[in-house]
Amino acid sequence: MLGFSNGSGGGGVGAEDLAQFQATMRAIELACSYIQINSNPVAAEATILSLHQSPQPYKACRYILENSQVANARFQAAAAIREAAIREWSFLATDDKGGLINFCLGYVMQHANSSEGYVLSKVSSVAAQLMKRGWLEFTPAEKEVFFYQINQAILGSRGLDVQFIGVNFLESLVSEFSPSTSSAMGLPREFHENCRKSLEQNFLKTFYQWAQDAALSVTNKIIESHSSVPEVKVCNATLRLMHQILNWEFRYSKGGTRASINVFSDGIRADNAFSRKTECVIVQPGASWCDVLLSSSHVGWLINLYSSVRQKFDLEGYWLDCPVAVSARKLIVQLCSLAGKIFPSDNGQMQEQHLLLLLSGVLPWIDPPDVISKEIEEGRSGSEMIDGCRALLSIGTVTTPVVFDKLLRSLRPFGTLTLLSMLMGEVVKVLMANSTDEETWSYEARDILLDTWTTLLASMDGSGGNARLPPEGMHAAASLFSLIVESELKVASASATTEDDADCLASVSAMDERLGSYALIARAAVDATIPFLAKLFSDHVARLHQGRGTVDPTETLEEVYSLLLIIGHVLADEGEGETALVPDALQSHFVDVVEANNHPVVVLSSSIIKFAEQCLDAEMRSSIFSPRLMEAVIWFLARWSFTYLMLVEDCNLGSNQLQSLRSRACLFTFFNEHNQGKFVLDIIVRISLTSLMSYPGEKDLQELTCFQLLHALVRRRNICFHLLSLDSWRNLANAFANDKTLFLLNSVSQRSLAQTLVLSAYGMRSSDASNQYVKDLMAHMTSSLVDLSNNSDLKNLAQQPDIIMLVSCVLERLRGAASATEPRTQRAIYEMGLSVMNPVLRLLEVYKHESAVIYLLLKFVVDWVDGQLSYLEAHETAVVINFCMSLLQIYSSHNIGKISLSLSSTLLNEAKTEKYKDLRALLQLLSHLCSKDMVDFSSDSIETQSTNISQVVYFGLHIITPLITLELLKYPKLCFDYFSLISHMLEVYPETLAQLNNDAFSHVVTTVDFGLHQQDVDIVTMCLRALKALASYHYKEKNTGNSGLGSHAAGHTDPNGVFHEGILSRFLRTLLHFLLFEDYSTDLVSTAADALFPLILCEPNLYQGLGNELIEKQANPNFKTRLANALQVLTTSNQLSSSLDRLNYPRFRKNLNNFLVEVRGFLKTR
Amino acid sequence: MSDEEHHFESSESGASKTYPQQAGNIRKGGHIVIKNRPCKVVEVSTSKTGKHGHAKCHFVAIDIFTAKKLEDIVPSSHNCDVPHVNRVDYQLIDITEDGFVSLLTDSGGTKDDLKLPTDDALTTQMRSGFDEGKDVVVSVMSSMGEEQICAVKEVGGGK
Repeated sequence: MLGFSNGSGGGGVGAEDLAQFQATMRAIELACSYIQINSNPVAAEATILSLHQSPQPYKACRYILENSQVANARFQAAAAIREAAIREWSFLATDDKGGLINFCLGYVMQHANSSEGYVLSKVSSVAAQLMKRGWLEFTPAEKEVFFYQINQAILGSRGLDVQFIGVNFLESLVSEFSPSTSSAMGLPREFHENCRKSLEQNFLKTFYQWAQDAALSVTNKIIESHSSVPEVKVCNATLRLMHQILNWEFRYSKGGTRASINVFSDGIRADNAFSRKTECVIVQPGASWCDVLLSSSHVGWLINLYSSVRQKFDLEGYWLDCPVAVSARKLIVQLCSLAGKIFPSDNGQMQEQHLLLLLSGVLPWIDPPDVISKEIEEGRSGSEMIDGCRALLSIGTVTTPVVFDKLLRSLRPFGTLTLLSMLMGEVVKVLMANSTDEETWSYEARDILLDTWTTLLASMDGSGGNARLPPEGMHAAASLFSLIVESELKVASASATTEDDADCLASVSAMDERLGSYALIARAAVDATIPFLAKLFSDHVARLHQGRGTVDPTETLEEVYSLLLIIGHVLADEGEGETALVPDALQSHFVDVVEANNHPVVVLSSSIIKFAEQCLDAEMRSSIFSPRLMEAVIWFLARWSFTYLMLVEDCNLGSNQLQSLRSRACLFTFFNEHNQGKFVLDIIVRISLTSLMSYPGEKDLQELTCFQLLHALVRRRNICFHLLSLDSWRNLANAFANDKTLFLLNSVSQRSLAQTLVLSAYGMRSSDASNQYVKDLMAHMTSSLVDLSNNSDLKNLAQQPDIIMLVSCVLERLRGAASATEPRTQRAIYEMGLSVMNPVLRLLEVYKHESAVIYLLLKFVVDWVDGQLSYLEAHETAVVINFCMSLLQIYSSHNIGKISLSLSSTLLNEAKTEKYKDLRALLQLLSHLCSKDMVDFSSDSIETQSTNISQVVYFGLHIITPLITLELLKYPKLCFDYFSLISHMLEVYPETLAQLNNDAFSHVVTTVDFGLHQQDVDIVTMCLRALKALASYHYKEKNTGNSGLGSHAAGHTDPNGVFHEGILSRFLRTLLHFLLFEDYSTDLVSTAADALFPLILCEPNLYQGLGNELIEKQANPNFKTRLANALQVLTTSNQLSSSLDRLNYPRFRKNLNNFLVEVRGFLKTR
Repeated sequence: MSDEEHHFESSESGASKTYPQQAGNIRKGGHIVIKNRPCKVVEVSTSKTGKHGHAKCHFVAIDIFTAKKLEDIVPSSHNCDVPHVNRVDYQLIDITEDGFVSLLTDSGGTKDDLKLPTDDALTTQMRSGFDEGKDVVVSVMSSMGEEQICAVKEVGGGK
């Protein structure tokens, strides 16, 4: 007995023990005070740790908790109980388990009025954790006993302090059972899942009712009294508990029997494609909660409580931010997002009533908006108003726009949308007025309100264009949108003259999200907003022209810049690789338009294209088109053309019911290939060429042009056909091949442009023509490399900076072209690579000290091989592989044993990073080579495959592994690449590994050993998979009479007569030690089981020996037998047999899991 | 495609020590001359002169000989000087008592004007490699009239 089962009082403590407890207590107290004053913290921590790790420290801990005057020592004692009990749980007596929990509960209740709250919550959380640990073992009657105490406490019969403690305990308990907040217990996931299920189904609602009862018991006191009373603390705790319970991720009470959740049929709209800044969790507790939350007038009580206390403290500004007010509002907001089966299927009537009740409670927080915003600006707290916005967001999340709008009509002469618009209008005005960068309430309110709009409107967008806001709602959206645009432009012109340090792409994407929400608002009222935007744009352009040469245009430029971004978002969605459809709202409105020229979208688009075209004129360019404005122009053209330019009918059609609309046909055909499409395409290409040629050194602009605009164009096949027929495109290709200016583009743009041009070859009528096009395009680059490498003075010449730049440039282009490999142009690109093979090897030699060039060379080869390999015939494969091997050998001969010297540590680090990047490229190369065995389009049959890929890759590994030092493996990406290659190789070709020579073999094995001890779960998993592959290969081969891993597995005796054991034995040892004594994620246990099982089968004798050794080491006879049994069960239970088949692996996994739960506790005890 | 060709002409002897190159084109890892010193660029960032102005590059670079850190800001369409950095491998034939090395040139002559690197560990390694009779190759970096040993490599040999 541990002294816990026999009620209170330290009856069984002898004098001898007492002295020892006192000594322990003093040591711990001392350690705690040392930590506090930070004197020799290491030693102090060690003292505390030794208490945590000592076997059965419960009595001592109890003594400390009951007697120590030092709060920290009591805290540590509680922590030690937790540690030890979780560890030793499996061999504690049942009475002791219950005793520990009872002790903790009793302790907190006895000391409920203590001022050291943190000790109490620690003890209380220890009780909660232990209760969870034993949850599945305790009988219902036992649980009943625990909860009876808690219930009594919560009812308030033992005073307010105890009441508070009771609520507090439930809070810990619920958080312990909720998967996202539970603490680790070294148990499989299944355990946590079962606990969660049991609590949700049997207790959660009861807890909520207890909390309600407790809250009711104190409410009257709070409302009646005129000053703050202690009851408030309890009230706050209960509100928090209720909030926490509703936050539970309900799974099992939704009516369905399936335990897994289908996100698509989860009752509520799952269409929130827009990421939101504000979190809004939908509360779906299921039908059984109806009585607690809905029919018991719970909501009315809560709103009453809040409003009456609010009224009472009306004059005290601080009250809005005091904890109980915050908790009450949080709960109200949360109840707004109640949804699902809890409401009966009555056409949403009950839900509407529920929401109406809540809205009427929330209304005073936000209405009238202008008065409230004024009060806040004058110093009142904004938190209540922000919670009001949150409530609107929650309501918007669980309703449709129409229902949302209707809610307010019974209380006010206008709909909820109008209120939302007014409210946001006020917030925007406040933002406009104080345009400081300070984060104020208005920023937060704006984001929440914007999310509300997004939530409401996103459900309409993409629903086929039939859903529309009510007319009043549209009006509200339109006026809000014009206010938003006004404020955005004001912000723009105000910031026009500030330095712009942020990189353009980043700032554009940061604004993207907000503009996306604005666009939804605009699209809710396109009849007004599109003409509005067109007018605004032409006004601004006119202003630019008027002031040309006389007025500083900067502010107007910035306004046009913002306007372009806004219009781009309104007109088109971000494609993200998919074809972006013309937004439904734009398709379905404007029904009375019959001529394309009058279609507002056409008018707006055309005016922008016309404006953009002016940049072709040099004079206009210098006076108006600043690099930044050009960035917006290019961005707009890219986004716009992706949605509107040369639509292929039937592919960009929206929903069917829209097809007959005449106005829609106008919009769709205006920019197609028979109409204005080709003309616009030509303009776009000319603008692109201008931005590449006439804005030297503008990196951001060039990248936008290459990546966003040109690349997106050639990704669309039908556009390629037209591109190739354009003179402007020919000019671009010509400039690329010959014009020095384009050699000045930065490297990524260089690469992307080459890729784009090669991809456009798809537009040629035949495959031959496509290949010829690529050949013509790249001939110049390849021949320049060939010429250079044949130059007799290469060695000196190559070091000249201009030559280095030229070579880098050509390599980037070759790489771009290589990455554009498609079946149609594969020939030409293969030949391109073939013709530079020798130059590449020569350059690898002469640039061995110029790491930047080396990296480019390697990356070119990597991309080229990746693109080509699967198409190649056997003889071509052999050529490519020989080339790769020479490359590896040359690289390795330059780098093995090389030591770079530099006085600068930065440069040395740079050199290390460069090396890491090179090696990563080489590993990628090997991985690509591996893929030849998996994907092969060549015409050869498998038999003629002359090159053995696995041998080649091992040979490659053999060359580069000496370069991969353990130091370099600390780079996570390199580490990942390396181990994924190794585990792939071992899994697929274990037989080739067996043939490696000793050095190579042991290097591979050493790194696997190294990988096993990494922190990263992925790496360890890969190593375990590799081990499994090795051991099971060996076992299976042995069983069929082959030698398997042969001498590697058997071990050998070195010349000095020392026996080195085989690798499988070594790994068996390592893995067992790892599993039993080290800390790891429980996720690893299954993979480890898969590796351990074949290892045990390979080395049964060693396993026996290790098992016996473990048993011998145990001093405690009780543990000895337990361990012996557990080891026995591990390899025998579950009908485990000694064959490596599909059935045995899962059996062993289960066995190992049980085994670890059983023995790890005492094995890890010191 | 076109007749215009890029010619790789060997520059005349006494080649210029630096070459002009557009600032926007100088990348991290490349070389640049700042305050008349040859440097290696370790950081490049671009910004604009005012929102609607032109781009400029901000370079942080390290002197390849002295390891001093230098910085420069240049409009990205302007030219910068890029140093001609040459690296030549020599075989180590002797280490003298006073800390000089003797190197074998391609033409069979010797080059005796370079000092050992200042790093003690490396010097020891070079000495021991040399004493064991291994073939030691020394890379010498030269630029703008200065020279320094920049890397050492043992290529086998010895016992």
